[in-house]
Amino acid sequence: MQQQEPLIRRRLSRRTPVAAALVLIVIPATILFGLFVLDDRKYMFVSVLIVLYAMIPFAMIFERRKPQGREIIVIAVLAAIAVAGRSAFFMLPEFKPVVAIVIIAGVCFGGEAGFMVGATAGFVSNFFFGQGPWTPWQMFCFGLIGFIAGNLYRAGWLRRSRWSLCIFGGLSTLIVYGGIMNLASVMMFAAKPSREAILASYVSGFWFDLVHAAATVLFLFFLARPMLEKLDRIKLKYGMME
Amino acid sequence: MRRSAFAAYHPFVNFVYFAAVLAFCMLWMHPVFQAISLLGAVVNAVLLNGRRAIRFQLRFMLPLFVIMAAANPMFSHAGVTILFYMKDGNPVTLESILYGAAASAMYVTVIVWFSCYNAVMTSDKFMYLFGRIMPALSLIFAMVLRFVPRYMHQLKVISDAQACIGRDYRQGGWIRRARNGIRMLSIMTTWALENAIETADSMKSRGYGLPNRTSFSIFRFDRRDRRLSACMAGLLLVLVLGAASGANAIRYFPSVHVQAMTAFSVLVYAAYLTLCLLPALIQTWEDWKWKSIRSRN
Amino acid sequence: MEIYTIKELNFAFPGQDKAALANINLTIEEGEFVAICGQSGCGKSTLLRQLKTILTPHGRRSGTVAYRGLPLEEADRRTQAADIGFVLQQPDNGIVTDKVWHELAFGLESLGCDQRTIRLRVAETASFFGIQNWFHKPVSELSGGQKQLLNLASVMAMQPSVLILDEPTSQLDPIAAADFLASVGKINRELGTTVILTEHRLEEALPLADRVIVLDQGTMIVNDSPREASAKLAAMQHAMIAAMPTPVQVYSAVERGGERQVPIPLTVKEGRQWLDRMKGDSVGGLMMESDERDGSVLDPYASNFATGSARRAAIWNSILNRKSDAAKADSAAVAFRDVWFKYEREGPDVIKDLSFEVKKGQFCCIVGGNGTGKSTALSLISGLLQPYRGKVTINGRNPAAARASELFTNGLGVLPQNPQSLFVKKTVGLDLREMLSDTKLTTEHKRAKLDAVIRFAELESLLGKHPYDLSGGEQQRAALAKVLLLEPRILLLDEPTKGLDGFFKAKLGRYLERLNADGVTILLVSHDIEFCARYGQIGAMFFDGAIISSDYVKPFFAGNGFYTTAANRMARHRWPNAVTAEDVIARCSSKSR
Repeated sequence: MQQQEPLIRRRLSRRTPVAAALVLIVIPATILFGLFVLDDRKYMFVSVLIVLYAMIPFAMIFERRKPQGREIIVIAVLAAIAVAGRSAFFMLPEFKPVVAIVIIAGVCFGGEAGFMVGATAGFVSNFFFGQGPWTPWQMFCFGLIGFIAGNLYRAGWLRRSRWSLCIFGGLSTLIVYGGIMNLASVMMFAAKPSREAILASYVSGFWFDLVHAAATVLFLFFLARPMLEKLDRIKLKYGMME
Repeated sequence: MRRSAFAAYHPFVNFVYFAAVLAFCMLWMHPVFQAISLLGAVVNAVLLNGRRAIRFQLRFMLPLFVIMAAANPMFSHAGVTILFYMKDGNPVTLESILYGAAASAMYVTVIVWFSCYNAVMTSDKFMYLFGRIMPALSLIFAMVLRFVPRYMHQLKVISDAQACIGRDYRQGGWIRRARNGIRMLSIMTTWALENAIETADSMKSRGYGLPNRTSFSIFRFDRRDRRLSACMAGLLLVLVLGAASGANAIRYFPSVHVQAMTAFSVLVYAAYLTLCLLPALIQTWEDWKWKSIRSRN
Repeated sequence: MEIYTIKELNFAFPGQDKAALANINLTIEEGEFVAICGQSGCGKSTLLRQLKTILTPHGRRSGTVAYRGLPLEEADRRTQAADIGFVLQQPDNGIVTDKVWHELAFGLESLGCDQRTIRLRVAETASFFGIQNWFHKPVSELSGGQKQLLNLASVMAMQPSVLILDEPTSQLDPIAAADFLASVGKINRELGTTVILTEHRLEEALPLADRVIVLDQGTMIVNDSPREASAKLAAMQHAMIAAMPTPVQVYSAVERGGERQVPIPLTVKEGRQWLDRMKGDSVGGLMMESDERDGSVLDPYASNFATGSARRAAIWNSILNRKSDAAKADSAAVAFRDVWFKYEREGPDVIKDLSFEVKKGQFCCIVGGNGTGKSTALSLISGLLQPYRGKVTINGRNPAAARASELFTNGLGVLPQNPQSLFVKKTVGLDLREMLSDTKLTTEHKRAKLDAVIRFAELESLLGKHPYDLSGGEQQRAALAKVLLLEPRILLLDEPTKGLDGFFKAKLGRYLERLNADGVTILLVSHDIEFCARYGQIGAMFFDGAIISSDYVKPFFAGNGFYTTAANRMARHRWPNAVTAEDVIARCSSKSR
């Protein structure tokens, strides 16, 4: 524990200036650019840019840290499992294990790894399903859920028990994924975002989100315990407890 | 899919092209520009993916286009040209209908452009571009792309093996099926994690993690890439000048307004048309050249 | 100059008292080809991993490993990465990236080579190994042999001075394995690279090696030239003799105790010469005295009618009249009737007009090359695939139409090629118990069943282990136990000997014989001719989507020219019916007595 503290602080301290710069300067600048230069009509463009910005700090910190081969491979394996899982259940729309796997990754390997698994799974799966303006949004949503899961677990609010994970999984799918993706579809599809359009999007998307959330809960219910056991075994067997 | 002449250019050229075309498509809602962009997207998509793919896509896109265009006036009541009033008393305006049509046309165009992007910007090109600035992440992408087909195959192997001990995910009740499906995913996870350790050994053994790693690629930025880049830069310059002068802009609310056509704006249109048709032009040029070489022999 | 000097090396895994390696003293010269062999778990992989610091497992270690005169630990990571190439067992696991060209460049990228250097080295390597034709392909489209060759090439691209290979061909079919070993030999011969190889397919590796090291329970028992090493093993009558090439086995059994007048034969060619020299005096008479038990097999029809016992004739008849036996279908466990199959509508036929029968109680081995449709035929039997023409029946019923619970309980058992695809739980014991979780047996009944299977497969000491911590042979046994819990009457096995060493193969063979004796019909598909000849009852050859010949294994293999055992190739000019090493030994000794 004592060894971990400075590590976390160091990560935070590196992340802070970049993140601050992005939040305080670049994002408002983009919005203002959209407002004045682009005449406030380019929601799709501006929103995609902002989502991309939001992921830059994670990528920068990850790269700066020079991650080890093992870490890279675990992230790659989990992301690939998520993608393969997404493809394996292709016949059931919205019934996908991605969120469940991302949460498990976050709990087991920390928020950063959770983010990386989520974002990578979102990105790579679209090499198989087709890239589009939705790609950055999906990457961000999956990544964010992994990040939150990892940090809540570290903070002690999320436990490894089946129910704790299921509840978190259901809520995060409904609120984080559903919340952001419905907004995103307004930004992408609707001609002009308005309160009604957003409301309509949430209403029409609700049932899909509910299926998605139920799928996440179901996957976590059956998968969480064996998956965590397997990951712990790998961590122990190959000395990845760092 | 046939070989595309444009895809044979350097990934950097490909990427800048698509970034520019997609950005302009999302930014400029001027009807002339939209028409040019849609035309370019469809022509390129036909050349890249074949006629059948694009027909399939448009069959799916057109209803979406109509729905989206029709949905806008329901939510947005801005604009001065009121056509009629809805039952709830809200006005339906010409401007909001036009705007809805433009916005959905833009969405359709973006999707078609992305289908071209998917055909040209294959994963190895993407990895090459970002391998230098994000070496670790691009390696993760490469590995995931390697693992996914492997895992899909393994899932098949596992499901066959499980079916042969009576654990078929295709048979039984809903819960039983779901449980057998999840069991397969779980078996696959163990298999993937245990086997990945050997892959990690293979990486370490070949020196992964040593400082000063370089990034190799089979792509070369040669003279024709330079020529095309220069050409694209010229077109982009004209377009940005046009945007600065307001030739590309359109105002929908309160009333529709576009700049009057001038000689300069025609030049900008021409530049945009050239840009959007660039891959198709290159393709046609190469086809023609090939034919003329063959006929001479 | 010495590349490696190993002195007094001892090694034990954490938490284990028994040393994995004990008192190893070894020098390896530059440019040597060293083959290390021994039974699974003898420490050969552990020894290899001591030769590259980054792959060395944790554990207690004493003694020194010197690389070019300096302790290995002092060679920095960069030197070790570039100089010491290491190829792993599983072709799929060694490959990191998704494209062939990228994989070739991976090591050079790590070393920080510049673009031009990498371009040149990758091009050179690809040309040397003949990879240029699939240079741009995604890795997922390669065959197993190509993948392993890619692993080798991407290590060789770094131009190492030592190449270490840990059972590189265990997952390959015989033809790919021979090609792979030929490439390794070429590297050693033409580039002068030192090669250290562990292998249990010694027939091909031994003639290439300059030196053979035999490990037994962590100690080095033999360290000599292949000929001398074989002679020493023969003199010791060591169990490892069973893993040596057939000529060595025959020689060591025949010349037991006698003085060695001639050098020990290593290859089939030398084996033939040795036989001739030994029996040279009676060449004329030998063809005449072909033994009465089997008769001549050059004409199988004649052999059948001349010698067959009643039971044999019955089966032989069913093979002959295989197209018109609807009446006898009740006695057939598995029957194919004019079966055609293809994977895609427009695709080529994979199974073409296949008619074939396995009678109840038979032990049938199907051999044949890669991609001839053997595995597809197995999938048709288990109902995973359905023919588009013709009929497949299991005990007279269509497997694709049967419910899984009926088909696979007390009926059909399938042992998949990859036993890992069966394991679900975290210990072997739990995994076995899980198999019975859906049945309605009483607890005692379940326990009795479990105990019986565990005793049969000798899993007592492994119950608490994680299935993935078992060795290949142990995994195979655990998977077999799982399948046996369903009490199959027909057992299908797909390449059951893949990756197993001779010791485990013999064990598996004995299990199958016992099951067969209990009345279980066994149908196995394999590349492993030696195994089929030794344990099978009926042999069948698959080619181009159909079975083109089948007979009792001995006459079956004796009738084949290329596709037959090394023992038969060695001795056929004298005893055409001698198929296994035991057959040849028996005939040699009876004649010499």
